[in-house]
Amino acid sequence: MKCQNCGKEEANVRYTQIINGVKKEVYLCTECAKELGVDALEMPDFSMNFNSFLGDFFSDYMERDLLPSFHTEAVKCKTCGMTYEDFIKTGMFGCSNCYTTFSAPIETLLKNLQGTTKHIGRKLNSIKEPIKVENTNNKENNKVKEENKLSKLQKELEKAIKEEKYEEAAKIRDEIKNLKDNQ
Amino acid sequence: MNWYLQNGEDSDVVVSSRIRLARNIEGIPFTPKCRKEDLKKVYDLMKEATVSLGYGLKFFDLKDIDTLTKQSLAEKRIISPDFAKNNKPYSAIIINDDENICITINEEDHVKIQVYSSGREIETLMELAIEIDQKLEEIIPYSYSKQYGYLTACPTNIGTGLKASVLVHLPALTMTGNIRKVLNIVNNLGMSIRGVYGENSKIEGCMYQISNTQTLGITENDIVKNLNLITKKVQEQERVARKYLTKSTIDIEDEIYRDYGILSNARKLNEEETIDLLSNIKLGVDLGIVQELNDAKVQELMLYTKPANLQNRVRKSLTLYEQEVERAKVVKEIINAQ
Ligand SMILES: [Zn+2]
Ligand SMILES: [Zn+2]
Repeated sequence: MKCQNCGKEEANVRYTQIINGVKKEVYLCTECAKELGVDALEMPDFSMNFNSFLGDFFSDYMERDLLPSFHTEAVKCKTCGMTYEDFIKTGMFGCSNCYTTFSAPIETLLKNLQGTTKHIGRKLNSIKEPIKVENTNNKENNKVKEENKLSKLQKELEKAIKEEKYEEAAKIRDEIKNLKDNQ
Repeated sequence: MNWYLQNGEDSDVVVSSRIRLARNIEGIPFTPKCRKEDLKKVYDLMKEATVSLGYGLKFFDLKDIDTLTKQSLAEKRIISPDFAKNNKPYSAIIINDDENICITINEEDHVKIQVYSSGREIETLMELAIEIDQKLEEIIPYSYSKQYGYLTACPTNIGTGLKASVLVHLPALTMTGNIRKVLNIVNNLGMSIRGVYGENSKIEGCMYQISNTQTLGITENDIVKNLNLITKKVQEQERVARKYLTKSTIDIEDEIYRDYGILSNARKLNEEETIDLLSNIKLGVDLGIVQELNDAKVQELMLYTKPANLQNRVRKSLTLYEQEVERAKVVKEIINAQ
């Protein structure tokens, strides 16, 4: 495969882009990767969108029918009277209850917009949590460790189920659940 | 000295850093849907909260601040130009004398905690923002959901509600024609980088803002870490481009000193041309070419040649023509100061 940047050299660096929630693999030659600064970047797999024109962005989704059709029925937020159509027009919700009212299309929207739908950042009233922001150069990242453990457990679980060791599977499942709850 | 006149870490490329946390108050519609009495509720709650925050913070109704001062805050990038101009009732800011903390009330979200510093200082700023946030959440009932985190009017801010950004000066990447490439890559890596546009929709003096786009499903730590990583990468590229420029020493020195000649001798300077001249001169100072100036003076020049800060400095309201004349005078004053 040829490099997707210069089109000349053989590609031997691969990296993943996620644009608007869609994963895309990009193949580059060593030179181009270096030039584009991709080689030295160990980017975590986070998602992205960089649409500066939110209005367009949301109505694009409308047109492409990526959102469940549910919102076209005139569902109104009981608290603020907002409809999903209103949101598409302005790009803004009316109140916190809107997030509950329109939860179905919001799931899709957030997946596209943010790549995920679950908050993993600071929690409300976490005052007792230390506020120390991690040093950038600190490679010992607990989260990464936990995630590694999680994916390891998930593999073990699959294996246990495959081998019909259900008792063991149940144990692993509990462990996974614990780990996820603590996150 | 206020942060916008200082030079922080990596200030040859990174001009300043900012952290912003968007928060809303439970039981009140988001600002765009607020009726007057809702806006007042937010306003009153925050006014009352001000004293318990500390940091020398003071509460100001926007309509009690004169236009020039509001505009000068926007020029310092402390509040947005739109917020500075808006005349909606119950818009307010909570700000200290150092102007390194500014909380806006009733902008797009009820509360926006913003902290600033010169140079690349994202970690320290993050700690300060969280500290303020923790004080506020003891008093103010935030809109928060277990699933989505901090709820915001626009779903692009949901979750952490965190926008971390740095302002970078990229003249060499611009001059060598590499800027588009850098913009492309950074944007593809899940960060946003965009030119800072002035009134005439032209990128102002090679200034770009890099910030995170993802706010949900990512921790504050990772946002800060990613932004630092990308910023360092961009900075590295800019420094490489600068090294390349200085290979032809006479050419770059000639270009920069011609600009210095205009800046220091002109009797009239308009805003746009001054921005361009100062961009090159900042580069010249950062490269050690321009001996007549230092970092601090460049920061001063950049600030006091902006219309509102210029008029505030001379304590007079000036016509455009008068501003051009006064700008040239102020430039000479700063250059010649001991
Ligand atoms: Zn290539
Ligand atoms: Zn609502």
